[in-house]
Amino acid sequence: MDILFLLIPLSVVLVLIILGGLWWAVYQGQFEDIEQEGSRILDDD
Amino acid sequence: MQAVLPDSDLFAEPEREVVQWIALDDPQEWEEFSHPHGGSQSNLWESNLVIEGMHCAACSLNVEHALKSVEGVISAEVNASSERARIIWSADSTKPSDWMRAIVRAGYRALPATDTSLFEKRRKEQRLALWRWLVAGFCMLQVMMYTMPAYISGFGDMTPDVRMLLQWAAWILTLPVMIFSCGPFFSNAWRDIKQHMISMDFPVSLGIIITFGVSTAATFQPSGWWGQQTYFDSLTMFVFFLLTGRWLELRLRSRTAGALDDLMRRLPDSVERQNADGSFTRIAVRRLMLGNVVRVLAGESFPADGTIVMGETQVDEALLTGESRPVLRSMGSAVIAGSHNLNSAVLVKVEQLGKSTRYAQIVALMERASVDKPRLALLADRLARPFILLVLLAAAGAAAFWWRNDPGRALMAAVAVLVVTCPCALSLATPAAMLASAGFLARRGVLVRRLQALEAFAGIDTVIFDKTGTLTSDAMHIVSTAVREGVSAERVLQTASAVAQHSMHPVSRALVAASKATMVDTVSDVKEVLGQGLSANSEYGQIRLGSAKFCGLETLPADSVQLYLVDEHGWLASFAIEEDIRPDARNAVCALQEAGIEVQVLSGDRLQAVQRVASQVGISVVSSDCTPQDKLSHLQSLQQQGRHVAMIGDGLNDGPVLASAHVSIAIGKAVPVAQAQSDFVVLSGKLILIPQMLIQARRTMLIVRQNLIWAALYNAVCVPLAVMGWLSAWIAGLGMALSSLIVILNAARLARSVEVI
Repeated sequence: MDILFLLIPLSVVLVLIILGGLWWAVYQGQFEDIEQEGSRILDDD
Repeated sequence: MQAVLPDSDLFAEPEREVVQWIALDDPQEWEEFSHPHGGSQSNLWESNLVIEGMHCAACSLNVEHALKSVEGVISAEVNASSERARIIWSADSTKPSDWMRAIVRAGYRALPATDTSLFEKRRKEQRLALWRWLVAGFCMLQVMMYTMPAYISGFGDMTPDVRMLLQWAAWILTLPVMIFSCGPFFSNAWRDIKQHMISMDFPVSLGIIITFGVSTAATFQPSGWWGQQTYFDSLTMFVFFLLTGRWLELRLRSRTAGALDDLMRRLPDSVERQNADGSFTRIAVRRLMLGNVVRVLAGESFPADGTIVMGETQVDEALLTGESRPVLRSMGSAVIAGSHNLNSAVLVKVEQLGKSTRYAQIVALMERASVDKPRLALLADRLARPFILLVLLAAAGAAAFWWRNDPGRALMAAVAVLVVTCPCALSLATPAAMLASAGFLARRGVLVRRLQALEAFAGIDTVIFDKTGTLTSDAMHIVSTAVREGVSAERVLQTASAVAQHSMHPVSRALVAASKATMVDTVSDVKEVLGQGLSANSEYGQIRLGSAKFCGLETLPADSVQLYLVDEHGWLASFAIEEDIRPDARNAVCALQEAGIEVQVLSGDRLQAVQRVASQVGISVVSSDCTPQDKLSHLQSLQQQGRHVAMIGDGLNDGPVLASAHVSIAIGKAVPVAQAQSDFVVLSGKLILIPQMLIQARRTMLIVRQNLIWAALYNAVCVPLAVMGWLSAWIAGLGMALSSLIVILNAARLARSVEVI
């Protein structure tokens, strides 16, 4: 079970990294206009 | 007098907007919604617009294309969900009216966004709230993962070092929740303490801090008197639940604010000012100066208080005075800012501007009145103080109980009480119920501007209606027709409405609306004498349509407005015309009375008109001829008798009363300042919604009480168990989660529809 002493700290770090990703998404406004960007791909230019 | 054709026909809605845009081309107006972009030499500007009429994501791309096709527009970004556009344009090659026109051609409406800083502030607040919530939620999930093994493992399955490792991991991930996500609870509690108040945030903060402190001590020093139990999972879940409630509340509030912004947004007011050479230039109202002469077209509002120096017209002052009939204003008579020019263009000399106008005085009265608004202590906050006291007493009692038998366990028992008596359900009880109700009302077209107003609304005993625009709608209709013997009533009505077509007077419009037959223009040579009547040539010869005096008849006493038609032989027909009472007014009043509410009418109109409407809808207590100040003192005398009053109105003259009533409701197309003072806005203008709102408010408070009783019961059962030391940590945690869940599910019942009267 010694592997737990590596894996659990690693999971804590992973959570913090994911939180960093969420921070980026929130402050980039990724959650603010969910519909529009999807239809931009259908736009002609 | 020469016939005055209704000018407003020449200025149909889109055309009028074009006229208004010209005011936007004035560089002095740009600062309001734009700022220079890049260096000062480039003459580039960045402007913010609000786009109306976008229904889907693809619409925003259409607007972008329309904007980019205008020469001189460098870039355009349109956001569909916030309905905002940001465009960069060169002042050398285009002007605002050009790209405004492009948007309208694409089929949308655009208005300059003057509230950009407010919008930015709201967006920042929302992002922060979302971010706090996400941190709490994500950490909660992971903390539960670390706590789970301890719950499911059997005795001896986990070595102490692995157990400790998991606890440390849970502690680390609880830190961001404590430091960042709980910030608002701590700062609110701190603010309340400084003001010597206690709100629900105080027990919440205390609970969070104590739980975290005990769990931290247990993690790093398991041998201490505080025991080895950690509560990180219950703690993060508790915070996550609370933040979910707050996040929903913020979203609802900003949606409501957004809907209200839409109602208040408009083009800058502009008016035609007379130049020295007699020509007219359209300028923004804020650039008017005392002594200027302005031309106010039919359909426009007067920009300032002043005197008419040329022409005459009829003026609608209903929003300022409550007077339902248009009043005639001719040369030398005074007009007031905010009233509406109905018939024809007049020249007005500006005498009062800005703060000294009647309009601004009413607004100032309203602002003073809003200070007097009775503030009810909220049920949940009233409970916070006794709750804290009881918890502290219970903890002290537990410590005292154990001190005699087993001093080593005394402190531990006290801590267990503090942890177990979670204010979770107590603090969720009110917001969960109010949010569910506000959502329910929003789907029916009622905006709830202040959630707590639901609590105040449940306790009212008197409802006061304004008359003009609230009990009645703006239109009028014909109630009865009498004609000379041997004449076809239908033909007479047709002729009369053919004449009436040439007038903008509401009475004429009622006549036009009444004649359902296709309009044949059988009349010629129509002349209008403003405020009195019309004359014309028709199949009956020379006829006159108008007041008794105008037609040369004797005035007979009558309940309603009488309109007469005479030909060369004398009386031909008479039409009785009344204000349109909203179709659901009677039912609404009746339902309120059945619910035990006293209903009154408070109006600035004449006694006769008020009484007629009041008796038709079944209201017996009537006050008429009230100025805004009179209305306010009437309300205040009621409040001094200990009544809880809800005011329902729409006009500016209702503003001060709305601001000061326990609960205020603005109806339909109420003036923006009146809406700004209201707790509720009934967008559809359906009065029957008001008794429904009352039922909903009462149901809400019923659910809130149930929730509070449940929370109290949960604590009442848990505390003795904790004192005896029979409550293990995981049962306490489960209890907390369950009690919160029950409170939320109970509140969700409010979102369901009920049988309405």
